[in-house]
Formats: sequence, structure tokens, C-alpha cells
Amino acid sequence: MTAIDTAIRAAAADIELIGVTKAYDAKTVVIPQLDVALRPGEFTVVLGPSGCGKSTLLQMIAGLERVSGGKILIGGREVQNLEPKHRGCAMVFQNYALYPHMTVAENMAYSLKVAGVSKAERAERVATVAKMLGLADFLARKPGQLSGGQRQRVAIGRAIIREPGVLLFDEPLSNLDAQLRHDMRVELADLHRRIGATSVFVTHDQVEAMTLADRILILNKGHIEQFDTPKAIYHHPASIFVAKFIGSPPMNILAVTGDGSALRLADGQVVANFAGKGSFQLGIRPEDITVKAGGPIKAQIRYREDLGSHEILEADIAGQPLRIATPFGAEIDPTSTLSLSFSQARLHLFDNGTSRAISNAFDQTKSAPASVKEYQ
Amino acid sequence: MSSESSLFSHRWLPLLLAAPLMLLIVLFFYVPVFQAFYWSFFLEQPFGGGSEFVGFQNFARVLSDPEFWMAGWRTIVFMLTASSLAVIVPLMLAIAADRKIALSIPARNILVWPKGIAGASIGVVFAFIFNPFVGLMAPLNTLVPGLWNPGIDGTDAFITLVAAHVWSGIPFNFVILLAGLRSIPHTMHQAAAMDGAGPWRRIFDVQLPLIMPQLFLTFVLEFTESITSVFALIDTITGGGPGGSTTLLVYKIYVDGFRGFDLSGASTQTAILMVFVLLLAACQFVFLGRRINYER
Repeated sequence: MTAIDTAIRAAAADIELIGVTKAYDAKTVVIPQLDVALRPGEFTVVLGPSGCGKSTLLQMIAGLERVSGGKILIGGREVQNLEPKHRGCAMVFQNYALYPHMTVAENMAYSLKVAGVSKAERAERVATVAKMLGLADFLARKPGQLSGGQRQRVAIGRAIIREPGVLLFDEPLSNLDAQLRHDMRVELADLHRRIGATSVFVTHDQVEAMTLADRILILNKGHIEQFDTPKAIYHHPASIFVAKFIGSPPMNILAVTGDGSALRLADGQVVANFAGKGSFQLGIRPEDITVKAGGPIKAQIRYREDLGSHEILEADIAGQPLRIATPFGAEIDPTSTLSLSFSQARLHLFDNGTSRAISNAFDQTKSAPASVKEYQ
Repeated sequence: MSSESSLFSHRWLPLLLAAPLMLLIVLFFYVPVFQAFYWSFFLEQPFGGGSEFVGFQNFARVLSDPEFWMAGWRTIVFMLTASSLAVIVPLMLAIAADRKIALSIPARNILVWPKGIAGASIGVVFAFIFNPFVGLMAPLNTLVPGLWNPGIDGTDAFITLVAAHVWSGIPFNFVILLAGLRSIPHTMHQAAAMDGAGPWRRIFDVQLPLIMPQLFLTFVLEFTESITSVFALIDTITGGGPGGSTTLLVYKIYVDGFRGFDLSGASTQTAILMVFVLLLAACQFVFLGRRINYER
């Protein structure tokens, strides 16, 4: 472990947002109210559709946008009224924002130069960071002579050279092609494992969120929908929004009615046992539906997509669309009516009005081991 | 060349379409230029008819005339002060208008308007503004009598000329420089702010290096154009006076040629001025142009 690793790990600060609001005027409220605490050294991915306020949130932490109200604490220090340079944050931008007229070395050393660090120390720290990021051979080049991945690395180098308490990423991978995006994701994960900086990473890409995050903060119209580990978010989505946002293809949401003993679709089919009464939204992931002869639930197939590793079936069930992911090699009867079985332990129930998940809705109806067997 | 033949089926059609503009350029630029060079080797009659080849005699005569060197020196002083200010003042305005400061949006519009005013009109307006009795400086003269009088004091007249030129140069240079500043990505400012650079530091470390192409363009155009475009201002504000203190080379050429009817002398000075402008532009490209990074 080189010196800069330890320095950043030591500098890693926690971030606390208390009642943070952001509004440009009375009509355009971006963030109505936000309370969240990020632990030191934690890698948080802020995920949400465009316009959900995630970039604004990042810029407010960085100090590039003012907060309209509330407090931001970094390492226990109130920073919401401080200039960006006094907050101890560094940022990696979507378009890298490298200075085109400076060499790679000058780009990385610029913050140190502004801070008045001596030339010798600047050169030493640039060398350390460049070695760490595999940029040692490119120090004399200008950004225009680098590939997308190399520019990305320079941007990261520029951010970590100051040993910041917080690293902020604003959709840094969205300008890269698919292969490079994957490679950079692996590199970022590896870098975080080594330097352990508190990181906030904004993206709209759920794969980046699932693979990089210690915890994912899902934002929708400036509200926190859920803030939890990737596993918990995938397996226990707190709302219909989260359920549909994470997973590809997204979770199926079906309108069902409880009659006191079972949940029924509009055409009367029973999809689960349930003691409650009233209207609900039932969620089930495409991979938790099995096509098998004698399955109790019937649906009309409309379309099938063969993706090689698996197939996606698009079906119609009681007038609602249903997607099914079949495992590789599954023999699908190509007749128009499918016989399905829903993995009962993998059902999610959401309140019809609030769209929030009703926790433990099915605990009493079906035990887990039986459904796992059924799921094979 | 394949792209050309695919666009135009007839080989003479492109030439025909370009002909009107070519004709204008040839008639009003190349012909006079060559005429001036040609005449500079001849002794021309003021009212036409019969000219005599004199070789370099015209040049010898002009170069030995102290008035020519005075006018040349004034031209260079004017070029250095007025042209530099005509870029630096719009640069400051553009940097301010680029910021989100109060009234920067209306300012961006208003600062362009003088572009629509002819040089002679600007001259008339400034002659009035700097009039020692009724103009802007008149109150100074009531405090210290005789402090400001461009009609008598050569320096005052020169300052008036420079002010008028700078003012007339603002719109074009302002637009070019503001366009350059606006094209700097917003994230570049944010990145510099994150790196700890304040607004002043960002001007010198980020903004100026990134608008070098625009700065270079405005400097080249200013330095080469100011030498000739100042004619309208001199003619309307000072008439070359007082005592020849604002007779720049371009005005001396006019006076010698059209008032003194020394066609050969005026042609020779025109030729010298033209070579000077060409050399100036060439030097700017050789010494500055190469260093400019056009990459964004």
C-alpha cells in the first residue's frame, strides 16, 4: 500500500445531510427535503431517472450549487456555506472536464499548484498517482491525445491526488463504450477497495449501481425511495418505483384483489394465498416465474425473445402484460396458452395507494423451502 | 476532387457561380493594389496623360521625407495603443458578461449595437462628446482652464482618436470573445473551482488559454485593420490636426494623393503600408499562431 492509499483512507469523512432542500423558485422544487447519512469509506451510488435531482444533490455536496435550506456535514463539519475548495471534496465529471491546454501531469497537479504545494512535491505525488493508475507513460501528453479510458483515469488521478475526504463521481462512465465501461467499473471497484475513500457516485445505470455500491440511494423526484445494500434493494424493493427501476427486464406489477383467502387477478385466477382483503399491486420478477406443464396460472403468449443465455417471453395475463425469463434449455410449449407457476416466496405486495411495499405479506402463507424446490 | 465533380456536372458552372464575387474582389482589391504598386515606379501626372518610369526614385523621395516617418511612427503608436485597448476592453466586458452577474444578459445585447454605426458617424459623435466647450470634458476645463482641448493639444486629439476607435471596435471583438468564452464547457469552471481556483485565477489559468484562438483572431484583425479603418475617424474628428499630430500614414496618403495631387508619392506610401501590414500579419501567424492550441 503506497502512502496516498493510507492518506486517503485516513482522510475518508462521513457525510450527513440534514433537511437539505433545493428549489430554484416556488414552482421548480428539485429536492423537497432530504435526510441521509453516509458512512466514512462507504461507496454510495445515487441512482434515479434523469431529473430526479441526483446531480443537483452531488453538486450541493461539492459546493457547486447552493442549498436552499438544511445542513451538509462532512466529517462533522458544517460545509453548506463554504466554497468548494474548503470542503475537502474532489469530483470526477461526466465529460472528464480535463484542461485541454495542460499536459496530463499539469492536469493532475493543478489543484496542488493552486494550493501552493512545492514543485518537487507536486512531481512526486503526480508520479505516485500516475503509477497507481497506469498513466506513467502519458504524463507529457495533452488530453486530446488520450483515449476515453485514459482520460477517465486522468480525471480520477486529478481527483485523488489531493487525498480528499470525499470523492464525488457525476456519471463518469456514461461517455464510454460498453466494453470500456465494464473495464472502468472493475477498475473503479478495485481502486475503491485499495484507497477506501468515501465515494458518492451518481448514475442512471442500474448495473453500475448494483456492482459498485456498498449502498444504493434511489432518488425519485427528490425523494429517497430506498437506501440500502444492492442485495436488499433487489430482493426487497421498498416501493413499486424501486421494483420497476432495478432489474432487467423489470419486475412485473399486476393488479390483484384479496378476497380474504387468496389474491385474484381480474379474470378470477388465484395467484397466491393471502389473508387480507382489498386491492393490491403484486410484484414478481420475470426469473421467478416458471413455465411448466400443469402450472396453475394461465397466460397467453404474445412474443418471445431469444437472448441466447435465456429467453424472455412476453405474455398477456388478465389483460396485463407479463414478462417471463426462462432458463437456458427450457422446453417451452409453443402453443398460445402458457401454464405458469409463481415462486411464492419471491412475491412482493405493494399498497395500491402509496405504492410502498407491504413487508412480510406472505410469511404466513407459504414457507420458503417449499417454494425454492418449486423454483428448482 | 471527386466530390466536386459529383456536385457540379458542368466544369464551368462552379466558376460561373463564383464569378460575381471574384469580379468584385478583382475590381476593387487586386486592380487597385497592383495599380498602386505600378504607379510607385512612375511619375504620374496629376490630371492624367503621360507618365514617366522613374525606378525607385519615388521610394527614395518618400523614405527621405521626415513627415513620412512621423506619420509612420504615429501609426505604430496608434496601432499599439488603440488596437490593444480595442481587444482588452471588449475582453474585460466579455468576461464580465459571461458571468452570471446582474444585467449581463441585456449587456450582451446592448454591447453589440455600435456594430451598426458607420465609422464616420462615430467620428462625428465623438467629436461632439470630446468637444472642449460643450462635451463630456467641458467641466474639466471650468476647473482647470485649458486642460482639455483636442483642437489645440495634439495629445488630446490623439486620445480622442484612440477612444473613438476603441469604442467602435467593442462590438465585433466583444461578440467574438464572448462566443469563445461561452463555448468553454461549464464543467471546466466547476472542475477548476473544485481544484481550488477562484474566479480571478480561473480567468488566467482556464478562460484565457481556452479562448486563445479567438484572442488571436481579434488581435490580428485589429492590428491589420486599425491602420486603415482609422481614416474615417481622423477625417471627421481631427482632420489630421492639430499641427499634423493625428496624421497617421493612411490619412497622409489621402492628403498627399487627393489634396496634394502627388499620385506617385501616395501610391508609393500605399505600397509601403501594404507591405508593412502583410509583414505584420505574417509575423503574428509565425510567432503566435503556432503556439495556439485549437483543441477543446
